[in-house]
Amino acid sequence: MSQSLRPYLSCVRSTLTAALSLSNFASQAAERHNVPEIEAASSPELLLNPLTVSRNQEERVFVEPSVNSVRVSIRIKQADEIEHILVHKFTRFLTQRAEAFFILRRKAVPGYDISFLITNFHTEEMLKHKLVDFIIQFMEEVDKEISEMKLFLNARARFVAESFLTPFD
Amino acid sequence: MAAPEVHHLFHAPIADHSFSADRATLAVARDTTVELYHRTPSGSGPGPTFRLQDELRGHDKTITGVDIAPRSGRIVTSSQDRNAYVWEPSASGEWKPTLVLLRINRAATCVRWSPSEAKFAVGSGARTIAVCYFEADNDWWVSKHIKKPLRSTVTSVAWHPNSVLLAAGSTDGHARVFSSFIKGTDERPEASAWGERLPFNTVCGEYLNPTAGWVHDVAFSPSGAALAFCAHDSSVTIVYPSGPEQPPQAVISVSTQLLPFTSILWSSETELVCAGYDCGVYRFAGSADGWQLSGTLEKDERGSASRPGLEQREESALNMFRSMDLKGRAGGGGSSGGVDDTKLKTVHQNSISTLRAYETDGEGRVARISTGGVDGRVVVWKL
Amino acid sequence: MAANINWRTINIDALDPESAYNFDLTTLTPAVQPVSSSEVQTLSGQVRQLLRGGNAEGALRGALENAPYGADEQGKAMHLSVVTEVLGQIRQAEMTPLLQRMYQAEGGSELCDTLMKYLYKGMGQGTPTSNSTPKNLTPQATGFSQVGGRHFGGGEGGGQAMSVFLSWHEKLVEMVGPGSIVRVMSDRRTV
Repeated sequence: MSQSLRPYLSCVRSTLTAALSLSNFASQAAERHNVPEIEAASSPELLLNPLTVSRNQEERVFVEPSVNSVRVSIRIKQADEIEHILVHKFTRFLTQRAEAFFILRRKAVPGYDISFLITNFHTEEMLKHKLVDFIIQFMEEVDKEISEMKLFLNARARFVAESFLTPFD
Repeated sequence: MAAPEVHHLFHAPIADHSFSADRATLAVARDTTVELYHRTPSGSGPGPTFRLQDELRGHDKTITGVDIAPRSGRIVTSSQDRNAYVWEPSASGEWKPTLVLLRINRAATCVRWSPSEAKFAVGSGARTIAVCYFEADNDWWVSKHIKKPLRSTVTSVAWHPNSVLLAAGSTDGHARVFSSFIKGTDERPEASAWGERLPFNTVCGEYLNPTAGWVHDVAFSPSGAALAFCAHDSSVTIVYPSGPEQPPQAVISVSTQLLPFTSILWSSETELVCAGYDCGVYRFAGSADGWQLSGTLEKDERGSASRPGLEQREESALNMFRSMDLKGRAGGGGSSGGVDDTKLKTVHQNSISTLRAYETDGEGRVARISTGGVDGRVVVWKL
Repeated sequence: MAANINWRTINIDALDPESAYNFDLTTLTPAVQPVSSSEVQTLSGQVRQLLRGGNAEGALRGALENAPYGADEQGKAMHLSVVTEVLGQIRQAEMTPLLQRMYQAEGGSELCDTLMKYLYKGMGQGTPTSNSTPKNLTPQATGFSQVGGRHFGGGEGGGQAMSVFLSWHEKLVEMVGPGSIVRVMSDRRTV
């Protein structure tokens, strides 16, 4: 499995590195404002072509760059319904605590499970390559986490079923 | 090559910096203030250090540009709060601001004194360039607007040595050359390849590079005979005009493998220096026949850095393969991988925002340059 | 009619032809000529012929040199499928030497940029979530609204094609660096 994971992640890495060339850019639509252009979308020339990196139909990353912000959306692998529920619970947990993650967007872009919004203030404050590392690490960990949770869930279900059925033995 | 002189001033982005003509004072734009540093011969470290001397307060939004006029010593600042101030030292040694009547309703994005120091240009997000000059009758700085055919935020302005022609880069992908001739302030310029009769707001040239990426910076060559600009498609374009109203003699576009450049500087008629998101400083060389990337100012530190012990290297090889497998990070050389990779190999640890000529030698060639970066460092490099 | 309009949600910038919102992006691509679908079709025929003749490199080069920037969505999709076909025909071991030859030739960096565009375009295929008939909807309401939109099981679908794009991408980035990716993002001439 990791055979196809490596090119996928290295592709995400190079795409993000290229996309994170952000500058401090004041809004040209509203006076004295400085807003992430990718969210405001007030001037089409300030948005760049969005790019998709996909590993297969179900796993992909969507990168939408603009002059002062980048929106990165991830679709997490979900092989069956249990995984889907787990991903939903997991991303909901994270997005409810978005302020603790700085770059996490509170709402995922439609069609994706979780989104990050990186602005020029983030790249100024934090090291750019570390931000990329963070997203890559998140992508690895989340897959691992979900499959672990699934195993754990199955184990628990088995245990519950066993204890439930013991009296009828 | 001598090691660059690194001044780590603070942990905040430096949007723009400027040295005074005697190189003793350094003005740095830090958030909403401009900090003035004075050079002091240091006791401990090698080379001089800079000590904070004064702060120019007055703007209430991020400052985007600061420029010290080399002869008069006046400082002009522009900010996202739509204003520009001209700061002059008063008798008591304090800096006194004068508000400039910019008449723009969006952020001011950049500011540069003209070589004559009688005017300065302020680029803005209102799709305007304000060319400002001093009106002695009313004792204030007033502005005239260049509006057409700008269609997006002006990211940078640069002056021709004759103080009349003005180049501007914009996020609409164009680099343009305008006339900013103001009667009473300017002398009539000599005719050049850019144009002969130059009333205000004449468009002397309009250039687009193939991908139409945002233009980050523009610069005239020392003689003013050529224009260079760098855009967000990692390219550098050099334009040689042939004559007024005629297609240019040569437009050379060099696409690089690097991240985009944000700042560009001619060190001589045949050499350019660029810096940007790649955190390093790169040199280009060429003429009207062609240009190419000729090298970098970063020195390769991999060989000279203290080599890790054998044991550590073996372990790091394992980590390297592991990280290649898991994170998709190619192990570049022995020093990456599991070892501490927080620090970048370049001198600047974040993108470089401005590049300035620091010192010119007798023949007009730039001998040393200074760079200011988002990482709060100002570095002086020897070319 | 007027009663149904929610005045507060009208984007007034869209109504002002001078506003930044109405920036005309076509002005950024002055050199692009419109290409008709039939021209694209002829071109794809030629490329396929080269490919059948065993000249995969020539086919790739021909397809990239004549990328139909001015074609409509349909024509572009047609050309993409040709490029995908060519890319799939080239073996892993041949990629790097082929790219090297292409990059060093005259105008090679431009070709590599175009190839990069096709790689991203190829990976972006099918992004608009194919909300086709859900294969296995549970009879009970699970409480998760998105469930209907997903079809499980077929998750690995397209993995094969994607891995072709991904390995090309890896080889290409090694050669042309992040600059090429930046150009794909900033170039208004899309494939």
